[in-house]
Amino acid sequence: MSETLLFNNIKKIPPEDYYTAGHRTCAGCGPALAYRLVAKAAGPNTIFIGPTGCMYVANAHQFLTSPYAVPWYHTQLGGGGAAAIGTAAALKALMDKGKRKMEDVNVIVFGGDGAMADIGLSGLSMGLSYNYKRLLYIVYDNESYANTGIQASSTTPWGATTTFTPEGRVNRIGNERLKKNMALIAAAHPGVKYVATATLHPPLDLMNKVVKGLNAGGPSLVHVLLPCPKGWFSEPSDTVQLGKLAVETGMWALWEYSDGNFKLNYKPNPRKHVKEYLKLQGRFSHLDPEDFDKIDKMVEEEWPYWEESNKRGKIVLPYEK
Amino acid sequence: MCAQKVELVKSIPKEKYNVKIWNGARAIAEAVKVADVDVISAYPIRPYTGIMNSLAQMLANGEFKAEIVIADSEHSQFEIVKHASATGARTFVGSSGVGLLYAFESVTATSLGSVPVVGVIGTRALDDPGNFGMEWTDVLTTRDLGWLISWPRDVQEATDMTLVAYRVAEDHRVLQPHFIAVDGAAITHVSMPVIPPSKEDLSEFLPPYDLPYKVDPEDGPVSKGMHIAPSLIGPEERKVIDVALKRSKEVIKEAWKDFEKYTGRRYSPFIEAKNMDDAEIALVGMGAYMKDIELVADMLRKEGIKIGTVRLRYLRPFPNEELVASLKNVKAAGIMEFDFSFGSPNGTGSLYHEVATSLYDMDNRPKLLDFLFLGGREPTTEHFKKAAEKVHELAKGKAAEKKAYWLTLRGEDI
Repeated sequence: MSETLLFNNIKKIPPEDYYTAGHRTCAGCGPALAYRLVAKAAGPNTIFIGPTGCMYVANAHQFLTSPYAVPWYHTQLGGGGAAAIGTAAALKALMDKGKRKMEDVNVIVFGGDGAMADIGLSGLSMGLSYNYKRLLYIVYDNESYANTGIQASSTTPWGATTTFTPEGRVNRIGNERLKKNMALIAAAHPGVKYVATATLHPPLDLMNKVVKGLNAGGPSLVHVLLPCPKGWFSEPSDTVQLGKLAVETGMWALWEYSDGNFKLNYKPNPRKHVKEYLKLQGRFSHLDPEDFDKIDKMVEEEWPYWEESNKRGKIVLPYEK
Repeated sequence: MCAQKVELVKSIPKEKYNVKIWNGARAIAEAVKVADVDVISAYPIRPYTGIMNSLAQMLANGEFKAEIVIADSEHSQFEIVKHASATGARTFVGSSGVGLLYAFESVTATSLGSVPVVGVIGTRALDDPGNFGMEWTDVLTTRDLGWLISWPRDVQEATDMTLVAYRVAEDHRVLQPHFIAVDGAAITHVSMPVIPPSKEDLSEFLPPYDLPYKVDPEDGPVSKGMHIAPSLIGPEERKVIDVALKRSKEVIKEAWKDFEKYTGRRYSPFIEAKNMDDAEIALVGMGAYMKDIELVADMLRKEGIKIGTVRLRYLRPFPNEELVASLKNVKAAGIMEFDFSFGSPNGTGSLYHEVATSLYDMDNRPKLLDFLFLGGREPTTEHFKKAAEKVHELAKGKAAEKKAYWLTLRGEDI
């Protein structure tokens, strides 16, 4: 793709917003901040598909308002993958048959971790197997079913408490499952053109990954880690800082996979201890210093694989034992 | 099997029509092609799958242009057409049995979101145990959701109903999705001479799909399906659909009248009543087995029993007035149905509840019996004859021992 499409510095960010006022998300909501950046990057010729989740329920409600200045349509919790394919197929059929003007229209699913990594995984996988252009799946990962009151999903990290994985006298840890890596799953689809991970920091990184995904010439996915004050028991003012710390502690590796080439976007050097990130979150407050060390060791063991992937330009599966 | 001689169907003169011998699946695909559908979504489950097989072959041959998406599940299948339809594409979808129930959430959101998708359901018994037989319970689970549901008798009518379904569903007075429930195997897999629909005949009958407020940047920033506060517009959202279904009755009448104008084929829109003018008893049902039920009624007529038949062509909207008018002079009627509602009043099926509710306010309503043909075991004319006899006895004043009879059951019908 042309480099001219990318946002080289913060002054290149357009002033227009397509995700605007009219929602009632929590103060410091990570997914809402990301929605704004993603919509800015995509521009006006975009259709958003919204599976059920925080970014469905909290983006509307009390006064029949809508924050979307571009077309938006709800889909069922597990429907994101399919709804986008239906929309893209309709646009292509109508254009091919001369029933609609030919032009580039972006189709973006803004689905949460529950919608994309759990109930909608099969549909997402189907969607990634079709070759519709300008089709982008955003997994906004706040690491729980936050809208329904913080229940664990398959991207909730080890050691986090949720209302389905509370810490108690018998279970000292809380969630004992390991976080599912959605970007690796997406990259395992042979027709996928672009896969990346991102967070709120650096913001241009997220916006440029949206631009790259939309211009990749086929289905693409960006897995975005987004702090959630409600579910993480963190200060609203720490949301962006938490994204930064997730990257600097190595708990969230920023990478992209474009047309078969792997690239690590950031290597923390020196890597901060994960406790810098975890101690700001109440969901980990029950853990002992040894537990923090255990998580830090898990991260330490994972990183050589990301570096090896970067060296080879190919994905090396990081969870070999 | 009955021993009586059956009159042969008169052959259609070849020079008049280019008649094809098609099974229901093949014929319905032809209607979808003539409707110039834009997006099709497929997932396999018997017995409806043949429709999708035929469409896929047509597209591979270049007979018409459409996007066909092979979904990963029925849920995705119905999501795909819902969103394609809301984006401005004419769509086609279908399923059978548990496949339809797998899609149930999406089926619901399609009708409650007023998206005029058209789907064909090849009716099939539900699991467990797995069963290729025919039952109606799959489609009847959707009767309360705002889908229009029509029920053809044979392959020709299934083909014609598919085209009419697009016209009715997409009418701006309706804008609700539409199922055509075709009896599994009895229509999907049975071949008969069919007069193919032609695009030339029907181009005026079926205008291009024109959805107000598409989910497309061309139509501006439409937000569709926003979460609402129940106190603000909850009841109004439901009323819109109630009104659409009520209005659909006049649209259906117009459509079938117009259909006759363009094709020469005439159908009574809601109810097909046979021999009802002087009938004292009636058998009421839907679908493909009505052919056999009508045959039995004809035979009994010859024996001097004043019997008629009433076939409902639409379940939604339910043809209340038409049904009442057709049954106003009978003393007793039997409901013939292939679906269950376990634990329901009197242990009857859902069609019985529909008919009984519909007749309740009549001054001299007929007595009713229910005949259930369940689990996919095929009934024969003997079973239908038995049903007619039970209704006849009831009309003559002999009290029935129960409301619901499982006539194809082996063993005691307790």
